Amino acid sequence: MTTLITGGAKCGKSRLAEKLLDNCGGRKLYIATMQPYGEEALAAIERHRKIRAGKGFETIEKYTGLHEIRLPEKCHILLECMANLCANEMFRNEDICDPTERIMPGIRHLQKYAETLIIVTNNVGSDGVTYSPETNGYIEAMGRLNTLTAGISDNVIECVYGVPVILKGRSCY
Amino acid sequence: MIMITGGAFQGKRDFVKKQFALSDSDIADGGNCELSELTNARCICNYELAVKRMLADYIDPLGFTAGLNCEIVIMNEIGGGIIPIEKSEREWREMTGRAGCILADRAEKVYRVCCGIATMIKGEQA
Repeated sequence: MTTLITGGAKCGKSRLAEKLLDNCGGRKLYIATMQPYGEEALAAIERHRKIRAGKGFETIEKYTGLHEIRLPEKCHILLECMANLCANEMFRNEDICDPTERIMPGIRHLQKYAETLIIVTNNVGSDGVTYSPETNGYIEAMGRLNTLTAGISDNVIECVYGVPVILKGRSCY
Repeated sequence: MIMITGGAFQGKRDFVKKQFALSDSDIADGGNCELSELTNARCICNYELAVKRMLADYIDPLGFTAGLNCEIVIMNEIGGGIIPIEKSEREWREMTGRAGCILADRAEKVYRVCCGIATMIKGEQA
């Protein structure tokens, strides 16, 4: 079963995602896509580590190329988060590439092994600001990625200040 | 407590005035009223702007939010965009998100207003 969790910044998405895996038996893998560069990224990573501590997750740091991860059968995966993954794939080389071409096969690869797959993404398109062409391209790519991922997910939940709003599927929390 | 959220200019305040029979004088504006007035105000609007002012005054917005005694808090959703370049804007966005989670957790009811239409996303219909 695949569940996509979207929402704005700091709205409780991770907390909800981890809660969904609370009662899972078997191996729980946390795929971290944020690159540990800069003070604030390190602080965010540390904060998430603390929240996760004692919940039995094995952490896999993978910034690009999800399809390359070797996975055990019937595991439970939390992928966090799509916004970092998208930027990492898109701006990996000098030439900006379409991140969906690498990420979508990556997600299908995770789905093949995971009994439960929770994907945390981000809504980045609601601030009404026009940015540089690169950033606008990123917002567009995130929109497409989220739409495509929602299409192959059983559940889609939007988190609003910690309140889960079901957009697709049945209540699963 | 009841929390009302949604994007900017979606009709949140009009919804509150109609639904809960309030007038403008019952509503303290988080953007410009004294922060000390907020704690016991009947209704606060623009609470996200109050968070911004707390940060400027070195007041902990999370502790402040946990101590609010209001009936109704109106607060914009501001997190749905690109990470701001300015550090203070990033901090505001982060603290607003966390303060909003505290409010939503404390609230018996949370409404989200979009295009003037309010949807209850937490709580039981009366």
